[in-house]
Amino acid sequence: MTSIRILRAGPLATLQDARRPGLLRHGISASGPMDRSAFERAGAWVGGAGTTGIEFTAAGLRFAVEGGALAMGCDGGSFGLSIDGAEKSWPARAVLKPGSIVDITPGPAGNYGYLRFDREIDVPLVLGSRATSSIAGIGGMGGRALVGGDVVAFGETAPRVPSQHPRPSAVRQGPIRVTWGIHADRFDNPTRQRFVSEGFAISAQLDRMGVRLADRAGVFAGATILSLVSDAVVPGDIQILGDGTPIVLMRDHQPTGGYPRIATVISADFDRLAQLRPGTELKFEPVTVAHAEALNR
Amino acid sequence: MIPLILPLGDEALLVRFDEVLSDEANRAAIAFAALAEASDLPGVAEVAPNLVSVMLRYDPSQITFDRFAGEVRLLFSSTEGVVESSRAHLVPVAFDGEDLDEVAAILGLSRSEFVASHNEAPLRVLATGFAPGFLYCGMHPEALVVPRRAAVRRQVPAGTVLFAAGQTAIASTPIPTGWHVIGHTPFRNFDPTVEPPTSVRAGDTIQFEAAR
Repeated sequence: MTSIRILRAGPLATLQDARRPGLLRHGISASGPMDRSAFERAGAWVGGAGTTGIEFTAAGLRFAVEGGALAMGCDGGSFGLSIDGAEKSWPARAVLKPGSIVDITPGPAGNYGYLRFDREIDVPLVLGSRATSSIAGIGGMGGRALVGGDVVAFGETAPRVPSQHPRPSAVRQGPIRVTWGIHADRFDNPTRQRFVSEGFAISAQLDRMGVRLADRAGVFAGATILSLVSDAVVPGDIQILGDGTPIVLMRDHQPTGGYPRIATVISADFDRLAQLRPGTELKFEPVTVAHAEALNR
Repeated sequence: MIPLILPLGDEALLVRFDEVLSDEANRAAIAFAALAEASDLPGVAEVAPNLVSVMLRYDPSQITFDRFAGEVRLLFSSTEGVVESSRAHLVPVAFDGEDLDEVAAILGLSRSEFVASHNEAPLRVLATGFAPGFLYCGMHPEALVVPRRAAVRRQVPAGTVLFAAGQTAIASTPIPTGWHVIGHTPFRNFDPTVEPPTSVRAGDTIQFEAAR
């Protein structure tokens, strides 16, 4: 049986598939890749990839192939890649031999990279998905992150389709676009204006649940943040905590939220936001829902 | 009750019945969720009721926000209504929580008087979804209302029975909480190995009874 043995895993490397939607009422957010487009591109590199792949974080990943040969696609962010000591380009497709050592090392950009393979990862489906939910502790490798020593076993080979060299979606440099949130009216006009005109920065506190922003201009410093009756949360919601800290809720978000949400990152800009490293400055630009929809088409 | 429709990102909307928790708004939200689920809305991907609102997620490749909101709005005038299929659950509780004495003292009751008052009438499940299998049950009468604790406990175990704000809540997974811990129950409303993973729905009733 073909498998890979994890030799080194950065924090919070997890198994992910497309996601586990539809369970908010049961208290489970959908999870899935932080950068969905990169996850899909990694699959396209393979040409016929299993539904489940590995999401790893900026520290990278090192593993050994055991049992049999394996085709792999990797994409997302910008990482160093070597196979049996030979440097490779990133992103890439590679055929790995039994005994091969793959070393993915930190690179200049991105928080998340993806590995997809030409076969399915052999972990049980939990509620219809193999995605790891760090908040619910289900899916993937027993609901937890991968650690050194783990053996990820493979099952059935995925149906072959021609491998592609996916074109990375043109990386937009401008502001992160948002639609106004369900509690935007709870903030006064000057605060809403400054939310758009001032910049924020990605803080060091980020994970699959949320990305805290540094509010150096103090946009929310004086705001009175009331605790509200909680409503359902969606990925991209920008919630202002009681101490005025803005946090963008990500794929493993809490299912409901009781702090005011001023805006929601549009689907088209979510992946880009997920890849912004701590210290990166960003601005928000409000757009209409109709505009956001047109970008998805 | 005429609710408000708000976009929630570009793939969902929120139907909000009120901004504060009331029995009326809560019942309206639960009833509307049942109606929306039974209505076969075009493009609908998920319906999730909360305390005073309902989230409806749609497939943006099938329908726009404007059209979906229009379909949802049509349901407001629906006179058909859906009979809430409410089920009753009996939940045994060991009233041994570390905050039980403090809660009883705030209310000017003895331990046993508090337990008797707490269990006197069945409560309605007001909302689910805060955490896997988590249940908000209410509302207790005014005489049993205490505020939340000032400090948050970093983690209480699955099965913890919580009390604050006129409600009793049941945790089915370990969670952080600022509510008072009044007891523990063997009852679990979460099993990820079965579908659906929870058995209690918003609108069901819970009768608490003292165990042991």
